[in-house]
Amino acid sequence: MKKKTFNEYWSSYSTIVILILMVTVFSILKPKAFLSANNYVKIIEQSAITILLACGEFFGIILGGIDLSVSSVMALSGVVCAKLMVAGWPPVLAVLVGIILFGAVAGAINGTLINATNLPPFIITLGTQSIFRGFTYILSDARSVSGISTGFTKFVGGKIGGVVPMPIVISLIVALVLIFFTMKTRAGRNIYALGGNAISAYYAGITTKRHQLLCFVISGICASLAGMVNIARLGSAEPNAGTGYETYAIAAVIIGGTSFFGGQGVIWKVVIGGLIIGVINNGLNMVGLSSYYQQIAMGVLIIAAVTLDRFFGASKNK
Amino acid sequence: MNSLVEMRNITKRFPGVTALSGVNFDVQPGEVHILLGENGAGKSTLMKMLSGAYEPSEGIMVANGKEFPRFTPRISQENGISIIYQELSVINEISIQENIFVGKLLVKSFAGVKIVDNETMKKKTEEVLAKIGLKKSPNTPVGQLSISEKQMVEIAKAVAFDAKVIIMDEPTSSLTGEEINHLFGIIKRLKEQGKGIVFISHKLEEVLAIGDRVTILKDGQYMGTYPISEMNHDKLVKLMVGREIKGTYLQKPDYDYGDEVIFEVKGLTRKDKYVENISFQLKRGEILGFSGLVGAGRTELMEAIYGVAPKSAGEIILNGRKLHIKQPYDALFAGIALVTENRRETGFSPFFSIKQNLIQAKYLKESRFGGMVGLIKPKMEETIALEQQKAMQIKCSSLNQIITELSGGNQQKVILGRWMASSPKVIIFDEPTKGIDVGTKSEIYKLMRKLTEEGIGVLVVSSELPELLSTCDRIIVFNEGKSHGEFLSVEASEEELVLAATTSQKTEE
Repeated sequence: MKKKTFNEYWSSYSTIVILILMVTVFSILKPKAFLSANNYVKIIEQSAITILLACGEFFGIILGGIDLSVSSVMALSGVVCAKLMVAGWPPVLAVLVGIILFGAVAGAINGTLINATNLPPFIITLGTQSIFRGFTYILSDARSVSGISTGFTKFVGGKIGGVVPMPIVISLIVALVLIFFTMKTRAGRNIYALGGNAISAYYAGITTKRHQLLCFVISGICASLAGMVNIARLGSAEPNAGTGYETYAIAAVIIGGTSFFGGQGVIWKVVIGGLIIGVINNGLNMVGLSSYYQQIAMGVLIIAAVTLDRFFGASKNK
Repeated sequence: MNSLVEMRNITKRFPGVTALSGVNFDVQPGEVHILLGENGAGKSTLMKMLSGAYEPSEGIMVANGKEFPRFTPRISQENGISIIYQELSVINEISIQENIFVGKLLVKSFAGVKIVDNETMKKKTEEVLAKIGLKKSPNTPVGQLSISEKQMVEIAKAVAFDAKVIIMDEPTSSLTGEEINHLFGIIKRLKEQGKGIVFISHKLEEVLAIGDRVTILKDGQYMGTYPISEMNHDKLVKLMVGREIKGTYLQKPDYDYGDEVIFEVKGLTRKDKYVENISFQLKRGEILGFSGLVGAGRTELMEAIYGVAPKSAGEIILNGRKLHIKQPYDALFAGIALVTENRRETGFSPFFSIKQNLIQAKYLKESRFGGMVGLIKPKMEETIALEQQKAMQIKCSSLNQIITELSGGNQQKVILGRWMASSPKVIIFDEPTKGIDVGTKSEIYKLMRKLTEEGIGVLVVSSELPELLSTCDRIIVFNEGKSHGEFLSVEASEEELVLAATTSQKTEE
């Protein structure tokens, strides 16, 4: 048996190391405010939406593609769900139709277009990002949709036992389901094969189009779940919700060590990647820096994380 | 002795394995030095030390009489060592001239500013192309060239920068017979110019034809360096694999395979017309071979059978049942497997372990809805992987190794094992021994025979005539997308096959 090298350790644990490093730095800078239990809960709660979006985005990137439409799907499904509730639908039904079904359909539209045209996912989802956002404005008349059932906002946006925020519970459940899906099911295994080399996967008998479609459906559902959490936290559905959030989602996936060329990556690290982004934003806030600096910090981190992976990554494309 | 380069007593250890031990190697001006060994014998490792990519664990490297503990890429370059890899590194989008001077553009001064000196580069390119006999304009985009011409561009690149030692890693593996002859002509010319050529190959006929000396490696051990004049086919094989491989005629001397047809193709035509009206029957127990030039329709036919390319007409019948194959998944499901020519591009899943690759087809075939439903079963995976590792004799340190860490021959065995685990009824082999060493080759041939004994149909596409003649019972020759003759191997000769493959069918009529 050969010993693990530093590189192999690095590629396994780099995301956790970065997270611990971030937490340590902010704890030293602002021990009182940052270290409080309340603040941790807050970070985790704020990260919930990023984690949900990133979990979906993972399936675009693992294919060697991308899904730029997640932010628009999030807003659109939020508006649809809110409209249904305002129209008097029971929240459970509104969520099932407005969120789960709607997210799946949005994802299926992406996947079908990509399959039918053979165009890069970047182009198709850039287009649908705009299309879905447009529908959001039309549907909401460009106004925020209020009057959502308070039972819904209290449950989805609230805290279990007054401590554990429901949004993070939802994102962790989603993450766990997807971890199981990617590691333990055949479809999950096939998706990795497809991302690693689509042509050899096709020759090996994998139904590539079907799997590709599935990936985008998962991405759509995750994005609409993020939309559900978002309207529950805000108490209303904003048509411009989530603008630019696809960047956070992509950042979390990449910081989580997923190969941008596809075929390599794991969900649990993507969750850590989402937390890292949450910690940066929260920590810089505590230190008293404006959100402009947060953007710079995130940009630096993306580049640094991928660069370090290139230098130390154990199993990068040889 | 004034060697161009010399490696003395080289040992290379990787964590856990000794890849090379005590190897001596040197290149003299004006010689072709063959480096021979099975896959995984350490040839690439040795060459990587010449190029400066690896550092020897022990031993001395010598270039032009100067000793070094290791070569750096820089030392290697300064001493005129140039490697032409099996997978060519030319850039298709740019011209021959630009490929030759890529990264080393010549410049001239123009009004105090340095600008690209196109005239000189063009002149030099023309000179070099003339030297190696490639009749193309320097402006031709490399994408328009054939594989053999691209290879010549690589050689031109080495010659243009005054390489003294040119290493060719299996240069003939994707060339046709005529192209190989042309390459040999170039090699002879380079020899006359005093260059030292290192020629890595598996094909013993070529080795004997072109080599001056041969160095043989076996499992990282140095088996010695000999003048080719003292060598013959059997001696080389013996040194390389440590066992003599007898004349490997595996088929029955008299063709009697009864009437039971297990697989049949009727009037198959491809939409793009690369294949026209092909029919054949495969009988139980026999191996059917497909010969012809590259592009004559052999691979193209198999693609249509396997569902990679659409067909416009024709029937595929397996055990009396008509198949409807629209994609590889349907073929897999029906029991047809295809071992493709390019392992890296269409063969295995590159980031997967040996085990994950071995189980892939079985998982897909066992589950429904396009192979999507079902869970990973670690125990079954382990059992199947061990079973196939044993059956295929896959050499690896662990089944969890990533497949790209294996040698070509072992990768091929993994792909075979993957199909075998899915219990196929017909296996199509497309160039099954390309880039594979002699020892593994004969293992694969024996395996094919064994498959037929179990009632599995075997179709073989190959450009190596001895391979077809010694393993197949019947051979169909392809010519311009059509069948042009059928031969029983025991009665056919290489000459007949070549004639059928190269004579135009139109002139005959």
